[in-house]
Amino acid sequence: MNTYTKQKVLLKAEDVNLQYGDKQILRDINFSIQDIHREGVAQGQVVSLIGRSGIGKTQLFRILASLIKPTAGVVNIEEDQHPVQAGEMGIVPQHYVLFNHRTIYQNLKIGLDNAAVKLSDAEKQQIIKDYADTFELTEHLKKYPAQLSGGQRQRVSIIQQVLTGNKFILLDEPFSGLDILMVDKVINLLLKVSTLHEQNTLIIVSHDIENAAAISDTIWILSTEEGKPGATIVKEYDLCQMGLAWTPDIRSNPAFVSLIKEVKSKL
Amino acid sequence: MKFIRSIFEPLRIISKRNMVLLMAAEMVLALIAWQLSGGGLIPTPTKVLQALGTIVGSRDFVDNLFASLSLTIKGMVISIVIALLISYLAMIPVFYPIARFVVKCRYLTLTGLIFLFTLWTQNGHQLKISLLIFGIVPFFVTSLLSVFEGINVQEFELCTTLRMNSWKTWLEVVVRGRLDQVFEVMRQNFAIAWLMITSVEGLSMSEGGLGVMLIKANKYVQLENVFGTLVIIFILGVLFDYVLGQMRHWLFPYTQLQTRR
Repeated sequence: MNTYTKQKVLLKAEDVNLQYGDKQILRDINFSIQDIHREGVAQGQVVSLIGRSGIGKTQLFRILASLIKPTAGVVNIEEDQHPVQAGEMGIVPQHYVLFNHRTIYQNLKIGLDNAAVKLSDAEKQQIIKDYADTFELTEHLKKYPAQLSGGQRQRVSIIQQVLTGNKFILLDEPFSGLDILMVDKVINLLLKVSTLHEQNTLIIVSHDIENAAAISDTIWILSTEEGKPGATIVKEYDLCQMGLAWTPDIRSNPAFVSLIKEVKSKL
Repeated sequence: MKFIRSIFEPLRIISKRNMVLLMAAEMVLALIAWQLSGGGLIPTPTKVLQALGTIVGSRDFVDNLFASLSLTIKGMVISIVIALLISYLAMIPVFYPIARFVVKCRYLTLTGLIFLFTLWTQNGHQLKISLLIFGIVPFFVTSLLSVFEGINVQEFELCTTLRMNSWKTWLEVVVRGRLDQVFEVMRQNFAIAWLMITSVEGLSMSEGGLGVMLIKANKYVQLENVFGTLVIIFILGVLFDYVLGQMRHWLFPYTQLQTRR
């Protein structure tokens, strides 16, 4: 059994609503993410937002990143719980958007150039080298994004956000279009990023329930309720409490298998 | 047989060597067809070739060539500066209406404005440059705005998540990120400028130029010379296009990574 404590609230959404004209997209979204502490590990938070295609996951994702404003409600972040500002949450979009006119090294450097902490060029070079070593990108630093595979682009995209200093990173469908071996690599990468810093928080938007749940400590299910317009969080699963978080080979655990069945039934 | 079949297949990519061979073969066929059908009003390729030799060997050819080149390059440089300024500023709302108006100026005919430009300018050279600029800039701005308006919104969002302010985003995505496409637009518009040069040169013939050579040859119905001059203009245009294309690949190596080869 993993021992853990949940402490300060790092992110809180209160009564978030989104409406386009007469159409209600999101309704009364409420949730919070707390800082998880585990002894001997810089344990970050990994939350999965599961929902069917077209339900409004991406819209919620854009609200969390402050790329669009909700019709009502607020998203507060960090220990002081201030309203989220654009640029405080990193985004790794489904198609891993990078600057195609810059090499991988330059793409990563641009993350550091805009970081809150100001560094010298030599320091930036060393940090990029370290991250490139850790995430197997050293041999690709001089290449352009168009020369990389989807998985490699995804890694660059994630590290770019980490280097900017964003502790909150939203990932849109990180397992989409990847083969089984690549999915395992992405899972390891996300686990590695989540344990780089105590407050690192990954929010995974996905409809791949099994893979998302396997690395998460919390699952939110975004779905509609009968007779009510718009999607809302219909269920939250605390995998830490259920003893299903941070466990290798979780997929073969009967409790996990039945959880996946239950999640599917809620969609 | 397989090769013959492949050149009639849609989306088939053939080797560079085969493509060069194909071009050469089609060019030879076109020349043969021209030679066989010519002889009446249209001079045959052999006559055009002879005229070409005479034109290139003539005393004032280099002066005329230099006059056209310098006018085109000068007109292009000024047009590029103006068009870039208008197009980049169009990303700032207050300047956007000006850019849209310039785009619509494509529908204003130059012929109707010659009188106005004659009053505004002090000599024939200025008149030609002004008309060239007025003729190129709206097309240049139209192409540039189309490039900028086609930028994927996710690129701007990436800048936001990387904590760039709007000026940095503009510089990164619109200016730096689209330099290769700006160069390509410039290359395409160079062709338009080269096409226009012969028309505007006729407005003030004292400076000479390839356009003046054409007008004179037309006036005296020297059709071999007309075709010979056209061939020179064509070859120079193709040469510029090739050089600018190579420069684009050299300056922006990433442009070749996502194209069909």
